[in-house]
Amino acid sequence: MPELARALIGVVTASAEAGALDLLLVPGRAFACRAADDELLLLCAPPVTDEVAREVATRLAALDPDALVIDTADGWAAISIAGDDARASFGLLSGLELPEAGFLQGEVVHVPAKVVAGDDRVLILVPSIWEDHLHDRAAKALGHTGPLEARPWAVPTS
Amino acid sequence: MSLMVPCPRCGPRPLEEFTFGGELRALPAEDVDDFARVYLRRNAPGPQRERWFHAFGCRRWVSLTRDTVTNRIDPDVIPSGG
Amino acid sequence: MGDALRFEGRRVAVEPGDTVASALYRAGVRTFTRSLKYHRRRGLFCMTGDCPNCSLNVDGDPGVRACTTDARDGQVVLRESGWPSAEHDLLHVADRLHRFLPVGFYSKTFIRPRFVWGLAEGMIRRATGVGRLPAGRPAGAKPARAVHVDLLVVGGGVAGLAAAAEAAAAGSRVMLVEERRLGATVWDARALARIEALAQEATAAGVRILERHTAVGVYEGPFVPVVGPGEVLHVEAARVIAATGAVEALAVFPGNDLPGVFLSRGAALLGVRHEVGPGRRAVVVATTDEGRASAEALRTTGMEVLIHDGPLIAAEGSGRVRAVIIETPSGRERITCDTLVLSLGWAPRDALLRMGTDQEVAGAGEVVIPGCSLEEAEASGRRTANGQGEASSDVPAVPVAGDGYVCLCEDVSLHDLEQAWDEGWRSSEILKRYTTATMGPCQGAVCGRLLAAFAGARADAVATAGARTTARPPARPLPLEDLAAGVDESIEQRTSLHGRHLDLGARMERSGSWARPTTFGDIEQEIGAVRHRAGLLDVGTLGKFLVAGRDAAELMDWVFPVRVRDLAPGRSRYLVALDEAGYVIDDGLLAALDRGRFYLCSTSGGAPAMEAWLRDWIDRWDLHVHLLDQTAQLGAILLAGPDARTILERLTDDDVSAEGLPHMRHADITVAGVPCRALRVGFVGEVGFELHHDRSRGPELYDALLEAGRPEGAQPFGLGALDTLRLEKGHLYLGQDTLPDDHPAKLGLEWAVAMDKPGFVGKPALERMGALPLERHLVGLRIDGEPRRGVPLLAGGRVVGRVTSCARSEAAGATIALGWIRALDGSFPAELFAGESSAAVVPTPFYDPEGARVHA
Repeated sequence: MPELARALIGVVTASAEAGALDLLLVPGRAFACRAADDELLLLCAPPVTDEVAREVATRLAALDPDALVIDTADGWAAISIAGDDARASFGLLSGLELPEAGFLQGEVVHVPAKVVAGDDRVLILVPSIWEDHLHDRAAKALGHTGPLEARPWAVPTS
Repeated sequence: MSLMVPCPRCGPRPLEEFTFGGELRALPAEDVDDFARVYLRRNAPGPQRERWFHAFGCRRWVSLTRDTVTNRIDPDVIPSGG
Repeated sequence: MGDALRFEGRRVAVEPGDTVASALYRAGVRTFTRSLKYHRRRGLFCMTGDCPNCSLNVDGDPGVRACTTDARDGQVVLRESGWPSAEHDLLHVADRLHRFLPVGFYSKTFIRPRFVWGLAEGMIRRATGVGRLPAGRPAGAKPARAVHVDLLVVGGGVAGLAAAAEAAAAGSRVMLVEERRLGATVWDARALARIEALAQEATAAGVRILERHTAVGVYEGPFVPVVGPGEVLHVEAARVIAATGAVEALAVFPGNDLPGVFLSRGAALLGVRHEVGPGRRAVVVATTDEGRASAEALRTTGMEVLIHDGPLIAAEGSGRVRAVIIETPSGRERITCDTLVLSLGWAPRDALLRMGTDQEVAGAGEVVIPGCSLEEAEASGRRTANGQGEASSDVPAVPVAGDGYVCLCEDVSLHDLEQAWDEGWRSSEILKRYTTATMGPCQGAVCGRLLAAFAGARADAVATAGARTTARPPARPLPLEDLAAGVDESIEQRTSLHGRHLDLGARMERSGSWARPTTFGDIEQEIGAVRHRAGLLDVGTLGKFLVAGRDAAELMDWVFPVRVRDLAPGRSRYLVALDEAGYVIDDGLLAALDRGRFYLCSTSGGAPAMEAWLRDWIDRWDLHVHLLDQTAQLGAILLAGPDARTILERLTDDDVSAEGLPHMRHADITVAGVPCRALRVGFVGEVGFELHHDRSRGPELYDALLEAGRPEGAQPFGLGALDTLRLEKGHLYLGQDTLPDDHPAKLGLEWAVAMDKPGFVGKPALERMGALPLERHLVGLRIDGEPRRGVPLLAGGRVVGRVTSCARSEAAGATIALGWIRALDGSFPAELFAGESSAAVVPTPFYDPEGARVHA
């Protein structure tokens, strides 16, 4: 059974013109998820959120003075699934086909979600109004009992 | 699980991830009869221009052409505007 | 003492490899079921799970095919039909009354007078019925798992295994599902050996083989749900190959449903594989090589076997086969026997093929080349895997003449079909619906072609009238439990105060998708607290949007009918949202922030639709707008009541005085160390501060407010109190007090619409409707009686409207309500009846009409 934990994660949302986001150099401490042409979600470790937001705001302002960069961590709840069978167990939570690695968005446990997949780990974010729902359904599907441990999330190195 | 809608940002996705926006309607304009624009639909068999909102994914709209008889969606999808 | 199962109180021995059917047959059981309507005896026939004849109750599960279920030690098996028993069934009298119970009789008899149907239906249901549900056993939904493959092969015979192996060797991700265990339906040793070898080849190539997994149907995608013993797989495949084989065709002749009549594969499985002789003396009528081969095989088991190639006229016997009548060159011959074996043609199991399109599902093996040899089947599998498959070959129809049963599941005879045809039901599809043929557990596997052939032979427009009826999932019967796999019953949205509500003893309710508190104990008391002291309400469920970007004001101005350009930073305005037909689709608040940004609040349930609506306009008009849905990110707490300001001032250094933060203004302040956007609102009719804050800080803010409010006796309140409080101010609840075609005038909301704006969504529609007389209006009512929501409003004995919200109001000293009324002869009635109580239309608000308390 894969390990299931609550992921503590920083989230910064950048809203700007598609061209500006295409050219943006993403800070090394952040993982970029292009949610839409004009929307970028930057995931990072919680302590560096302010730094990431400031860096992105500065760089983006040069490309699009009208850009909006906001700390939106409170809007999301995240869990991480880790282990050799992490990818296989994802099928118990969603009909989405996981890419080899990287970002994907779609329906997970019947709510809109953002997913970051790796070799042996999967990160799932849902709007925080569904935090309890996500924990409950994931624990039930993966056979996890008891409260979920909180784990600070780290940007994938690859 | 069903009809696959090609979202230009997220790839082909099942129908259930979307909200259907209906036939594409003209924007309000001087030379367009507003009554017909708002209330009347072609509702014809064959290719139909329509709007779909990817509620479970990117949360953006896409206009595409779907054949209302065969349910085939034209893979040539335009992501923004009309 | 070896393995045994219990059958109706008897102990029945179980040999290795037995199915429930073979074990029972060995023990002498010949009648397995009684047919649905006429209670005719039915016995083993196909031995492959295609016909309904062997359906038994096994370990509490109804409708289990005994011929495909492995027998196990300790199983409890019962027959399900017949009363008082399957052996001695009094309801068999129905067969004699066939004349009075013609096809479709339930549409024609027992229907007048009306009450007769109630009685008749009950009796008919008890007399028919294919099993009893296990009582008291909780439904356990199986987990659902999504699987993504390049190729799904359905059927683990020679063709399926070859196709899977071939595709996997070429690099595809392949899954093969087989309903039973590999080789379970094969009695020929050569075939079994080939299956074993191919299974090894497939496994070595990386094919995932799942035995005892049944493909339920093909949906668009292609998407195939597969049910296994402990799970349901949702398989998304790029391609599907159906190698589901064929069942032998049922022929129609008098006596064709008697126990003792077997399909040749069934007889051979029973006699050769399970080593249980079907009988002592068998007549085999075969027009196929395979049929003749099974006849030879049966001979080797010791049975006396007579082989003929027909034509077959009838089978005779009462309760089982006693003789068979064959047409020979020298005339009709009557041959006594106890078993009749048929091999007269094929019925490919093509349900899955017919559910999918050509691009999605291809056939391989016997399902497309019925009666092919082992080698041909294997070659077909490999060809189909490589994309060079064949289309289904036409199966010659088995002639349908004389009399006999066409649909075994639903007990539909040829005579029934002829009668229906005479009555005017003249195509396969309509005959199906009228007679229920093909609608039983076999779903047309046995009878589908017969029905189509029947209609085709008689119709003028053969192509449509004689077509096979549409194949739809499920291809196999499955319990509702399995259909429910993966379905989520109830998805709840929660604010960050959810835990606090529970700690405080709230009774929670579902308001749309949100979990919200109804009350914390006493609704009346909560109402009193808000009116006389202060109350706290969790309004974190509200839709909240940040609208920024250089076109933000333009978007707001065009999408909403409210005045926007003159809304200075720091001010808010009540907002109503209209669609292009001018109908009200949401309401809320628009607050102007600095730097051309806006903060938009919508109703709790309206947030997702509001976002989609705004994004549609941003897209269509190509506006530069940043729209951020902050509904989840921000919580909100309403502190309202005459003491609200006093309490708030204890927790903040910012100016929240009447002058510093007046009604319909907002400011960024810090409360108990928590940064908040404070909006002065008046939904409940008292001084109110809606404190919008980061979700994670919600519990600490709530605790601080409760603590600070202790001296005044501030307390939390829920939706129960809110309902009355807002009603006293005449504020409407969208969806409850509004109808889908309400435009602002019907709701008394013209004041919120700036008709002098050059343009906004819905303006032309409002202009059109403004030129027409108002036909309906939402009004305030004072009712002389108990509150009853939903009661009709009457004037002059006619129904003119309905009460949409209603409550006993202490503040107004009466029962108050909102309701809509229609205009009668050009004017709106003022004196009405709400149900049986008299009611008067009165102006709203009912409480503090000047709004003095709100503006304090």
